[in-house]
Amino acid sequence: MTTTTTLRPADLAEVRDAVRDTPGRLAVTGAGTAANWAGELDPVDAVLDVSALTGVVTHNPGDMTVSARAGTPLRALVDELAEHGQHVSLDAARIADGATLGGLVATADSGPSSLVYGTMRDLVIGVTVVLADGTVARSGGHVIKNVAGYDLAKLLHGSYGTLGVLAEIVLRLHPVPQRTATLVVDAPLAQAAELAARVLEGPYEPVALEWVSDGSGRLLVRIEGTDEALPARVQRLREVLGGGDEAAGADDPWLRHAELTRGSPEAAVLRIGARPSVLPALVSEIAADAATVGLGTGVATVSLPPHVVAEAHGRVHAAGGTSQLRYRPPGADAAAWGPPPSALPVLRALKTELDPDGRFGPGRFSPWM
Amino acid sequence: MTLHGGVRQAFERVLDPADVLSDPVKCRAYECDGLTGYRVRPDLVLLPRDASQVAAAVRVCHEHGVPFVARGAGTGLSGGALPVADGVVISLARLKRVLEVDPVNRRAVVQPGVTNLEITAAAAPHGLYYAPDPSSQQVCTIGGNVAENSGGAHCLKYGFTTNHVLSCEVVLPDGSVVTLGTDTNEQAGPDLRGVFLGSEGTLGITTSVTVRLLRTPESVRTLLADFPSVASAGDVVSDIVSAGIVPAAVEMMDTLAIEAAEEAVHAGYTVGVPAALVVELDGPVEECDAQFELVKAICEKHGCTRLHIAGSPEERAKIWKGRKAAFAAVGRISPDYFVQDGVVPRTRLAEVLDRIAGMGTDAGLRVANVFHAGDGNLHPLVLYSAAAGETERAERLSGEIAELCVEMGGSLSGEHGIGTDKACSMPKMFGEEDLATMHRVRHAFDPDGICNPGKVLPTPRLCGERPGKYKPHPLEETGAIERL
Ligand SMILES: Cc1cc2nc3c(=O)[nH]c(=O)nc-3n(C[C@H](O)[C@H](O)[C@H](O)COP(=O)(O)OP(=O)(O)OC[C@H]3O[C@@H](n4cnc5c(N)ncnc54)[C@H](O)[C@@H]3O)c2cc1C
Ligand SMILES: Cc1cc2nc3c(=O)[nH]c(=O)nc-3n(C[C@H](O)[C@H](O)[C@H](O)COP(=O)(O)OP(=O)(O)OC[C@H]3O[C@@H](n4cnc5c(N)ncnc54)[C@H](O)[C@@H]3O)c2cc1C
Repeated sequence: MTTTTTLRPADLAEVRDAVRDTPGRLAVTGAGTAANWAGELDPVDAVLDVSALTGVVTHNPGDMTVSARAGTPLRALVDELAEHGQHVSLDAARIADGATLGGLVATADSGPSSLVYGTMRDLVIGVTVVLADGTVARSGGHVIKNVAGYDLAKLLHGSYGTLGVLAEIVLRLHPVPQRTATLVVDAPLAQAAELAARVLEGPYEPVALEWVSDGSGRLLVRIEGTDEALPARVQRLREVLGGGDEAAGADDPWLRHAELTRGSPEAAVLRIGARPSVLPALVSEIAADAATVGLGTGVATVSLPPHVVAEAHGRVHAAGGTSQLRYRPPGADAAAWGPPPSALPVLRALKTELDPDGRFGPGRFSPWM
Repeated sequence: MTLHGGVRQAFERVLDPADVLSDPVKCRAYECDGLTGYRVRPDLVLLPRDASQVAAAVRVCHEHGVPFVARGAGTGLSGGALPVADGVVISLARLKRVLEVDPVNRRAVVQPGVTNLEITAAAAPHGLYYAPDPSSQQVCTIGGNVAENSGGAHCLKYGFTTNHVLSCEVVLPDGSVVTLGTDTNEQAGPDLRGVFLGSEGTLGITTSVTVRLLRTPESVRTLLADFPSVASAGDVVSDIVSAGIVPAAVEMMDTLAIEAAEEAVHAGYTVGVPAALVVELDGPVEECDAQFELVKAICEKHGCTRLHIAGSPEERAKIWKGRKAAFAAVGRISPDYFVQDGVVPRTRLAEVLDRIAGMGTDAGLRVANVFHAGDGNLHPLVLYSAAAGETERAERLSGEIAELCVEMGGSLSGEHGIGTDKACSMPKMFGEEDLATMHRVRHAFDPDGICNPGKVLPTPRLCGERPGKYKPHPLEETGAIERL
């Protein structure tokens, strides 16, 4: 067995040199928090580890934009931005594990607040990326409103290190809300879905609306706002929910939510997107061991035995949804992807244009590419 | 070469022959979009009636190597829908059905020729609306909005078209049909929908669009405030933002723009003040009221000389009418003008406006400003008189302003797109490798280069030409739309 070379570039020029001067197949790795996501990597000749590529390049507090190197853990960035009352509006579970900006974009990750703020794609306003032939390409910039040229950040979003190496990322920021509150209601999924519909129909403006199940089911509704206005809004929300406890400090239900999306060592984790109205039935049908269900976003994360993953992909697809593997237990044989999208030929053409020799992330999109 | 031989017959086999226009007089109606200075008469104009006819027409183009240009309402301001000589225009005007409104999942599926405002009209009975709101929303189509990633006054808080389109059915340049995106934000693999959004008709034709709908906010508060200087108005914008408030809209106008708007619609603006802001907040009533008080205090702190709060929906509509009329109204104070569209980081607004004023003085021309201050999207209007021989000077100034925005760390365009107009300025903003990479993306979608060629990315031919004089769009002349 050969030892894999690990390259640890510390700036853009070094990334470019590493890609250009290293022959063969390359895996791009950030913090490794999503190493077992998506398709299993085929053997590679070298690993390009971007974890030394860290730090803020520019932060413009008045413009609410920041650019940082792709290996920066989002957690570290959040600490730096907090001084200015700003944050990146992304609450994916992996952030706490040290997930990097590049890894979060490459895996298209997001958390419950994507209901309002969207996923990484909605927050990234510019990228610098190194292609397989050493080309350094930039798109977007430092302003939130920008329609000059193609949006390459979107192309890298969800690419799992197969189209290029993200070296620098520009993000739009949001003010840290003065206050947030979460109401918790014990409810089985069907009832939670009804309550969620009622919340969405009214003027409550939840930023997250999730059902979590680990044995018994609970609906979590999060709102954010100003110190003055929030208590009255919580009261109104409690009325429409017909009760609900306000989550207090130590017992944060969102930590449990994050834990459930990470899954357990022996179960596979599948991330599902479908119209919110079909999602509860779909999740029930799949017979998940544990689940978090975004009743407004239409995104669910479920844990299930590896051998039923392929069948679950099929059911999701039949319901008009989309799914991807978010964790493969060691040694388990679980399909990473469901039936291919109609746009597969375009994906393949893009791969051929940008990485004609198939250097980056071999196997990640197997069997599609 | 003209297309009237076998190719024309091929189109007539897949479309109703009456939907294949070749009469030069009829085709003339398609020779330009809102960038009226550039005109090219297409050889043929196709008017398909459904998605399968669009695909069939594109397949004919593919087989015969005929370039095609998709066209919505033709309100684009960057020459995106400018026809290609010896090519065809494929108009989506007949694909104008709302296919589905799904209030439970808060989304709608519409054909590309549906106008922006019609989506909101279809959603309104359910208490929902479609958020992106270009000023041309009465006439521009969702297909055009998707292609341009259009914005509007309320995009500061709610985002742009790309944040509100879930998926698009797309006819690729080889005539195959694919779906980009899904029913949710989740998708397996790279975000191709996001690449298509804002690609200005160069990657394919969308034949069906699934959009996200939002709940109409419970409360809306709007104010109009006058300031002793552009800088103090700019400071208000910064302070609002640093107070953690995300307004639904923040619009700024300068003396000239105010004067023109007031003369045109008598919206109650103060003629003669150096700057005015329109600030709008929306959301839950408690939140909105609390933040509105804060906004008023910030305005006062910066020497606001008049604060007018809309007391009724009618008054609010009036404030917005003044703002939206400003562009067309400039025609009252100048015989001719160029509309520019550039973006700067918000914190550099005062500086850039100062520089623009200086450049105007140097050029001996007036520049009026009316713009989306919250996201730094400027729309400087360069006023001139063609009769007095000022055209070339005005054009140069307008171009220099766009490039100044790039120099300030901004963008060549915030919402009107690159199209034909600014393709030649792209190297000011992007390096060779950036542009080469965009070419590779385009090539993956359109290997034969027949899909809206010559737009967005610079080509030597294009860069040798100069745009002609601005003329009002036919729809503007009839008063159907206003320029913002
Ligand atoms: C020293 C070492 C040697 C290894 N050797 C092998 C080996 O020989 N064979 C093997 O199969 N695996 C090997 N691995 C594991 C492999 O690198 C990871 O499984 C894989 O790269 C994905 O996990 P991640 O660490 O990048 O996860 P994360 O950092 O969370 O990233 C998740 C996804 O995003 C992508 N990504 C992350 N950052 C970027 C970025 N900046 N730009 C573009 N894409 C990005 C990743 O490629 C991955 O697909 C090795 C790992 C290490 C640390
Ligand atoms: C008075 C006025 C005010 C305006 N205000 C704003 C504003 O506030 N914000 C803003 O963003 N823009 C504004 N615009 C610009 C313009 O309205 C937008 O760019 C709009 O999105 C264009 O839509 P359209 O249907 O007219 O498209 P067209 O002008 O017909 O086409 C624009 C581009 O879209 C492509 N296209 C059209 N349909 C399709 C399709 N189905 N599939 C693929 N490509 C397609 C065309 O090829 C072309 O490249 C304004 C224009 C005017 C005249």
